[in-house]
Amino acid sequence: MAQTRLGRNENAAGWAFVMPALALIGLFMIYPILWSLWMSFQTGRGMNTTFGGFGNIQRLFADPIFLTALGNTLIFLAIQVPIMIMLALVFAVMLNNPRLKGRGLFRTAIFLPAVTSLVAYSILFKSIFSNEGLATQVVAFFGGPQIAWLAEPFWAKVVIILAITWRWTGYNMIFYLAALQNIDRSIYEAARIDGVPARAQFFRITIPMLKPVILFTTIISTIGTLQLFDEVQNITQGGPSNATLTLSQYIYNLTFRFMPSFGYAATVSYVIVVLVAVLSTVQFWVARDRR
Amino acid sequence: MTTVFRRSLFASTAVGLLAGPALAQELTVWAWDPNFNGAAMEAAAAAYQEAGHPDFVLDYQEFAREEIEQKLQTQLAAGTMDGLPDIVLIEDYSAQKFLLSFPGAFQPLTDVIDYSGFADYKVALATVDGETYSMPFDSGVTGLFYRSDLIEQAGFTAEDMQDLTWDRFIEIGEAVTEATGTPMISLDIDDPGLFVVMLQSTGSWFFNEDGSLNIEGNEDFRAALADYQQILQSDMWKPVNSWAEYQASLAGDVASTVTGVWITGTIKAAEMPGQWAVAPIPRVEEAANGTNYSNLGGSSWYVLNSSDDKELVYDFLNTVWGSDVDFYQDILVGQGAVGSLLAAREGDAYQTSDDYFGGQPVWQDFSSWLGQVPAVDYGIFTYEVRSAIASNLPALADGGDLDEAIGNIAAEAAVLTQ
Repeated sequence: MAQTRLGRNENAAGWAFVMPALALIGLFMIYPILWSLWMSFQTGRGMNTTFGGFGNIQRLFADPIFLTALGNTLIFLAIQVPIMIMLALVFAVMLNNPRLKGRGLFRTAIFLPAVTSLVAYSILFKSIFSNEGLATQVVAFFGGPQIAWLAEPFWAKVVIILAITWRWTGYNMIFYLAALQNIDRSIYEAARIDGVPARAQFFRITIPMLKPVILFTTIISTIGTLQLFDEVQNITQGGPSNATLTLSQYIYNLTFRFMPSFGYAATVSYVIVVLVAVLSTVQFWVARDRR
Repeated sequence: MTTVFRRSLFASTAVGLLAGPALAQELTVWAWDPNFNGAAMEAAAAAYQEAGHPDFVLDYQEFAREEIEQKLQTQLAAGTMDGLPDIVLIEDYSAQKFLLSFPGAFQPLTDVIDYSGFADYKVALATVDGETYSMPFDSGVTGLFYRSDLIEQAGFTAEDMQDLTWDRFIEIGEAVTEATGTPMISLDIDDPGLFVVMLQSTGSWFFNEDGSLNIEGNEDFRAALADYQQILQSDMWKPVNSWAEYQASLAGDVASTVTGVWITGTIKAAEMPGQWAVAPIPRVEEAANGTNYSNLGGSSWYVLNSSDDKELVYDFLNTVWGSDVDFYQDILVGQGAVGSLLAAREGDAYQTSDDYFGGQPVWQDFSSWLGQVPAVDYGIFTYEVRSAIASNLPALADGGDLDEAIGNIAAEAAVLTQ
């Protein structure tokens, strides 16, 4: 029948249109992913590698540095992402208030960090928190102790969390602002008429209405934090005492800083893949619609 | 710098388009220190031009040492030679790693250079399977560089600084710090360089002869780390967070530093003539064969196999680096580069005294200390073990148990050196 033939032609044309893109994705995405999976079973030094079966996976569980890096990454995740999401939400709701003066200015100011280069702002944070840096002097000025921000494991973690929060809060805020503008004003109006207090409006209306966006930003931030690299590489180099070493940085060290173990580095990178998959599933499950 | 680089890139491209193959007299070199090895290489280029090669052009490109290693490692692993230089400077600690991991990437120079004229240990560091790959460059023979004026102000003399142990050094250091308000040394807690110096001064190293780890049960390692812990727990040091901050601290913020002779360029850049002096480094007293001599860093030039004008490379290296004794005198005085060419040690500059160091014959001192540095085989995993050590230093600074730290270092090093 003519219609089916037309449909088949349309199909062929459709495939022809997506083919170039598919070929490129296949070559630059799928092939490297499969290749890195193959690589993760290789052991050896530099270019002299042999098939090592599950040797790399066994090495993972006996590797104290990997476990430290994994722990650090999860700490950054567990502390930084909730703080940032809450802050972004609060900023967004505040800046969505039409009666607030200078809204544009504040919005720009909070979003501005998101457009700065990762390396540039990391260098800036490093100098702010150096031994003679601004932060150290401000703390000392108010009578606080002399804090060696970058030489103490605890404070180094704090600096990294501060840095990524500064950099990414504005970015998340923009999503919330956009979503807030899509909430029908009449809902709030009805709530006001019924005498619902402002705080209840926030928790009972705003947050449920924003749930899909909150889920989205949480997953994006989770993935971003799991891949955290630029900040630690530039601010602390993973130190002191590996206290800020992240998984991505460990992969980098295994590949470029130390005797290259490409196979083991690929194995560690698959740990990140698995973590992202698991955490995203969990987040979807937590945020599922309960009927 | 970027503009200059871009301009010279543009110029060389333009000239290249016009002149074509006639531009074969250009060599690209990577090095990392503008006050030191970079300046020495530029001096070598000038010497080569004077030696009858006026068309010779050196394209000196500067990157941090780690960047050079990472760029090399990435490109060699990927198998692309585009943009690699003709000659690259590699630190001695990493030489074996590169030669073993990337067979065929570097050009053996065994038939090109007469290695009998160079210090044996430098040649051994660059030899794999009977082939030697380097043009040996500088030695990292160590010294205790100290501010003579501050030491005097605290009531000590130059004689007090000779033949020290680390215990005595810490005593003096705390006294100087208290009397002058200037900390004795600056330390980056993430960089165990000073500990590495202490360990080699005992004649021991991280590895046994067969390459296996020699950390747990190594008495010298324990003795050196015990001394290092004492330093970390003393009040005489100022923390720094990077190499740049460390270098800056030498311009008036600290009273001394223990490091390789190559720091001379930085110390002279501070322009404090007559306020500095040099002594042998303190000794690890509890070590069986503790000496006052050690080594930190040191590097050599390597020729990449991808270089397209090897004849020019060979001629340049042999003419200047392989035989020009006068050139070695220039870079000694100018950059503090104690080269590995034995004949150069007989030159005039090695005999003279240096007013910057209060008229002390520093070069004679360094070259006599050089002969007493305990030789160790660095192996291929120096930076891996250094990183394992660095990750346990904050615990030691907080008074952690020494043997527990050694156990942790050994465990981490075992994973990293698989």
